[in-house]
This record gives sequence, C-alpha cells and structure tokens, in this order.
Amino acid sequence: MRKTNNDAELDDFGRFSEPALLILVSLAGGPRHGYSMTEDIEAIARVRLGPGTLYGALARLEARRLIEPLKSEDRRNPYKLTALGEHALRARLDSMMAVARTGQRRLASA
Amino acid sequence: MNWLLRLYPAQWQERYGEEFGAVLASQRTSPGLVLDVLAGAIDAHLYPQIPHADVRQEQVQGSEIGQQVLIQQSPIEQSQSALIEGKDTMTFQLLQRCAAGGPKLSREDRRAAQRTMIWSALAMAALYMGLTKIYRDAPAVQALFYSSFPFLVLVREQTAYLRRRTRATQALLLVAGFSGMYLFMLGAFLLARTL
Repeated sequence: MRKTNNDAELDDFGRFSEPALLILVSLAGGPRHGYSMTEDIEAIARVRLGPGTLYGALARLEARRLIEPLKSEDRRNPYKLTALGEHALRARLDSMMAVARTGQRRLASA
Repeated sequence: MNWLLRLYPAQWQERYGEEFGAVLASQRTSPGLVLDVLAGAIDAHLYPQIPHADVRQEQVQGSEIGQQVLIQQSPIEQSQSALIEGKDTMTFQLLQRCAAGGPKLSREDRRAAQRTMIWSALAMAALYMGLTKIYRDAPAVQALFYSSFPFLVLVREQTAYLRRRTRATQALLLVAGFSGMYLFMLGAFLLARTL
C-alpha cells in the first residue's frame, strides 16, 4: 500500500515504520535519549521497544534527517525532532485521523 | 549482554555503540531481547543507514555566518528538501516508485545497470559460442546457456540495487549467485542424461 501524499515519509521503513512513528510522537514532547524514549513509548502505547528495534528505527530517522542528535556529555545521546520530522509526523497523524474519523462515522451509521 | 554489540557493523558501533549499550544494559535479559538485538544486527548489515562516502558532495552557502560548508545530498535528501520547501515532489516520487527499474533508482542507476547487462550479455554470448565450437553440446556448455538468462537478471539487480555497497560485496554476491545457478543447471542436465 502506497501513500500518495506527504505522509509517505515513513512508508519506506518496513517493519520499523510503527516504531519510527512512536519515536516521532515521543520526541514531539521534547528531546529524549534512547532509554527515556523506550519508557515514554511504553507509557503512551503499551509497547516496549527492544534496543535492536529502537536503534534500527532511530538510524533510519536520522539518515532521513527526521530527527537529529544533540550534544551530550554522557553516553546517553538525546535526539530531537527536526522541522522535516515534525512535518512528516503531522502529515502521518492527519492521515491517521482522517481514516479514524471515516471509520467511526461508518460504524456509527452501520 | 554487551558482547551482542560486536555483531553490528564497525561503523554502526562507532556511531551508536555507546548509547545502544546504555539502553541494552537497562533492559532485563530475555530470549526476546537477544532476538531483537540479533535481528537489529542483521538489519544493520543488510541496510546500513549511515551515509557512504560515495554520496555526491555539493557545496552550498552556509546559512548564518556565510561560510562555505560541505553537505552530502542523496536523491532522497534532495526530494525531502523540496518537500519541506513546499515544492511538488509527489510526481517525482511516484515515478521513482512505479518505474520499470524498481523503487528509488535514479536515471543514472538504471542506465548503469542497463549498460552492464548489455555488456554482460555480449560477453556471455561470445563465451557460449566459443565453448560450443570446442565442446559442442556438452552438459557444462548447455548449463552455461540456460543459466545465462537468470545470470543477466542477477547482474542487473546487483548493479542497480547494490550499487552503494562495496565492489567486493557486489562481486561476491554475483559470483556466488552465478555459481549457484550454474551448478543447479549442470546438475539438472547431468540428471537428465542418466534418466
């Protein structure tokens, strides 16, 4: 399934698509490091990302400039959302909301 | 558990190793965690996300202090830049995804793949003709003929999709792929002769 609008940014992530979306949502609340993201994602989505999945998605997001690392003195490097990442996240959430609204409306009229 | 980190590519370890180790150390050891890290290591080898040195470099003007800075822009990044600037990239992206060459192949990538395939086809034809003249319809020669088509498809895929990998990786996959196909065909011919 291919998206034809701007939220197609995350479509090429394969099995990392959902973790990447959760990471973007987590970073929308401010910069976080890996462990903090895992905790936050578990709290908001009840999913605990393993380090392999987390860094697979983080590497993809960073390579596409959707997030960027911040300088840190300890080994827990924080990341923040870039303007492009915010744009992609907004587009994806808008698309999901449109689908959810349509689904709710159809269920209500069924 | 940190020994699992050694399964990742060296470049990846250099970039993410320390923070990955911190997250890994914070999690409770379980078979699921080991599997997750193993799958991540395989993914990091198959799809390295850290940009390669052969990405085209472009000089652009520095934003604030007016200095000349070097940045690396791949086709994906260029389309992203256009996206955030509000330019229409939808048609470009659709064309890239629906083109016969497959997803995310630039025109240069497709041309290089076609050139390689044509030259490989000519080389295979010359080799087949030469061997036929000497050995006539020996199973080894027939196997070469029948494995040449899948080989050419393989050559095209290698040169197009694995272009950003090292030459050693491409050569290894090409030789291994062709050897496998050739041995399969040869085995089939030898088996057919005994029946």
